[in-house]
Amino acid sequence: MKLRFILALWAAKLSQPLLKITGHKGTNFPGELALKLCPEFLRYIAKPARIVAVTGTDGKTSVTNLICDMLEASGQRVLSNRAGANTNAGVATCLLSGATIFNRTKFDVAALEVDERSAARVYPYVKPQLIAVTNLFRDSIMRNGHPEFIASFLTANLPAGSKLVLNADDLISSSVAPDNPRVYFGLDRLPTDVTDCVNRLNDLRICPKCAGKLEYEYRRYHHIGRARCVDCGFRSPDYDYEGKDVDLANMTMTVADKSGSQTYRLLSDSIFNIYNLLTAVAVLREMGMDHQTIAGLAEKIDIVSSRFQAEKVGQVEVVMQMAKDRNALACSRAFDYVASRPGEKEILLMMNNLSDEVEWSENVCWLYDCDFEFLNNEQITHIVTTGPRGKDYNLRLRLAGVPEERISWARKEMDAADKLYLRPGSSVYILYGADNRSLDMAFRVREKVVKLAEEAGK
Amino acid sequence: MKIEVIYPEICNLYGDLMNAEYLARSCGAELVNTGLKEKPRFLSEEIPLVFMGTTTERGQELARDAFAPWLDGLKQRTQAGGLTLLTGNALELFGEYVQEDGNRIPMLGLFPIHAERRMMARYNSLYLGKYGEMDIVGFKSQFSHSYGDNGEGLFTTTRGAGLNPDVKAEGLRWNNLMATYLVGPLTIVNPPFAKELLRLMGVEEPHLEFEEAAMDAYRTRVEEFSDPNRGFTYH
Ligand SMILES: [Zn+2]
Repeated sequence: MKLRFILALWAAKLSQPLLKITGHKGTNFPGELALKLCPEFLRYIAKPARIVAVTGTDGKTSVTNLICDMLEASGQRVLSNRAGANTNAGVATCLLSGATIFNRTKFDVAALEVDERSAARVYPYVKPQLIAVTNLFRDSIMRNGHPEFIASFLTANLPAGSKLVLNADDLISSSVAPDNPRVYFGLDRLPTDVTDCVNRLNDLRICPKCAGKLEYEYRRYHHIGRARCVDCGFRSPDYDYEGKDVDLANMTMTVADKSGSQTYRLLSDSIFNIYNLLTAVAVLREMGMDHQTIAGLAEKIDIVSSRFQAEKVGQVEVVMQMAKDRNALACSRAFDYVASRPGEKEILLMMNNLSDEVEWSENVCWLYDCDFEFLNNEQITHIVTTGPRGKDYNLRLRLAGVPEERISWARKEMDAADKLYLRPGSSVYILYGADNRSLDMAFRVREKVVKLAEEAGK
Repeated sequence: MKIEVIYPEICNLYGDLMNAEYLARSCGAELVNTGLKEKPRFLSEEIPLVFMGTTTERGQELARDAFAPWLDGLKQRTQAGGLTLLTGNALELFGEYVQEDGNRIPMLGLFPIHAERRMMARYNSLYLGKYGEMDIVGFKSQFSHSYGDNGEGLFTTTRGAGLNPDVKAEGLRWNNLMATYLVGPLTIVNPPFAKELLRLMGVEEPHLEFEEAAMDAYRTRVEEFSDPNRGFTYH
């Protein structure tokens, strides 16, 4: 077995420069090759002494990046799969790149993003001291089914010794692996909180213990918030790390725990990103850093967001907003966020999963779990639908109450750009999906929109 | 006029609830929700359509236990011609049992079928079939298939799986009790079938909300799913 591993290590190592030369940078090929040659590659590959994993439906990339950036800013050598995939092949590629040909690690710590569905192939071999679970929502119905299934899958596959950093505001993910040591983070009541669910997607409508009725002290969105069961008294766990006094005007939040509290600079004004920061702070506290140090590190970093980019072009603001295709939660959050931004807006809806179109035809069930209703907003004056699912979007928008005259359609994405009004002072949001083909298309469309906006500005 | 949604607090996966909402919005019916701890309204009121959607595995057992006392009422409703639509794995509730590994989970036993569940082998496929002369399109996304005698089923499969991948008859039908494994917005992606349901509910000249937009998307999808070069399963 050891010989097999060494052969796998060397072969995979050799493939890395070759891939660079042939322009295949950033693929998982080396990890895939290593796993093919030695199925237990992850067991033998050298790993940093400290490992943190981040999993969950939404926010795992952002949280991993935050942890990685802050640890690096503290002077540690951090290994992370931020540029690659979050599957076992992605983790293998990452660990491979961090090891020498003599299988020694070059890093102090690994911050790994791990896909929920990869748990059974990663954790038998990679045992993080800490695992943060951001949340669990309905995701791709093809891959993930429903969050109850993913929660039980994590319970079955998280390593027994790992300490879990869990979201107390999410009764689904906070209940995973009940025998593991755990701490909870959560965000105190916000002025925008509600008690009843206003979203279509609500993955937890009954008590997980007795199926009784859940009552929310406060609800952020969907099933996220502080709840208790009216029948059996079961309730959300108490916070070990409490985010509070969120101040969007000054972009700060306080994080309190048993050893004190600290004001942190917010890196973004969206609630999701506030949760991401809170999760990262809780993880770093559990790694033994004090608040002041973490707050200092948070000052030094920026969110390098590939998911949100705004640029002023002529008299128009062009915004790229990722809205993960086939994911009702991610799109609902993106729609809510876009609708809450000030000013007149046009939207180009292109979360079509173009990779799906090669294989079959996209399953559109998620459109009816997703709150397109947020796009029925006076300040969203025009929505252009496009791509293979454009007509499904048209119907969905009409059902969400968007008046017909505010909707335009073009089958081809590049033609959709021509439908935009690009009125001076307005913003154009390009909402795009996350698969490679869609990313490529989205940025080509963006280029065209920028060109059109420049011309309109002359 | 009322449409009763049974156990929406658990039978709500994959956008299924929109089926009832769309029909209600199209005919001005009132949507009434019946919770796990409540007695269904159809037992004592005139309810033109009863709907139940997809749930989780735990949800199936909760729904089974909650609904067991009302099964005779559903039989009487169906014998009298009452319309009921079950989507996704709500179908399995009315079979005899669900088999998972060595575990046999009893169900309500209205139909002589049983389901075989494999949590690590999710089945994802498109669906093309017929309801009479009508083209039916849809999506399947499930952990299980059912086996046994489902007669002619609800739909006749042109492409995709029937009650299981080996049979053409899809779903279950007894009078106007209809069950299908198709998940999600079945009535929205199939406006002709939605109108048929409205007719069976007693709506004389049914018209759907945004019918033109729905028909436009439907025609595109039927064409896509009929294209033999179009892949049909998701891996
Ligand atoms: Zn309870």
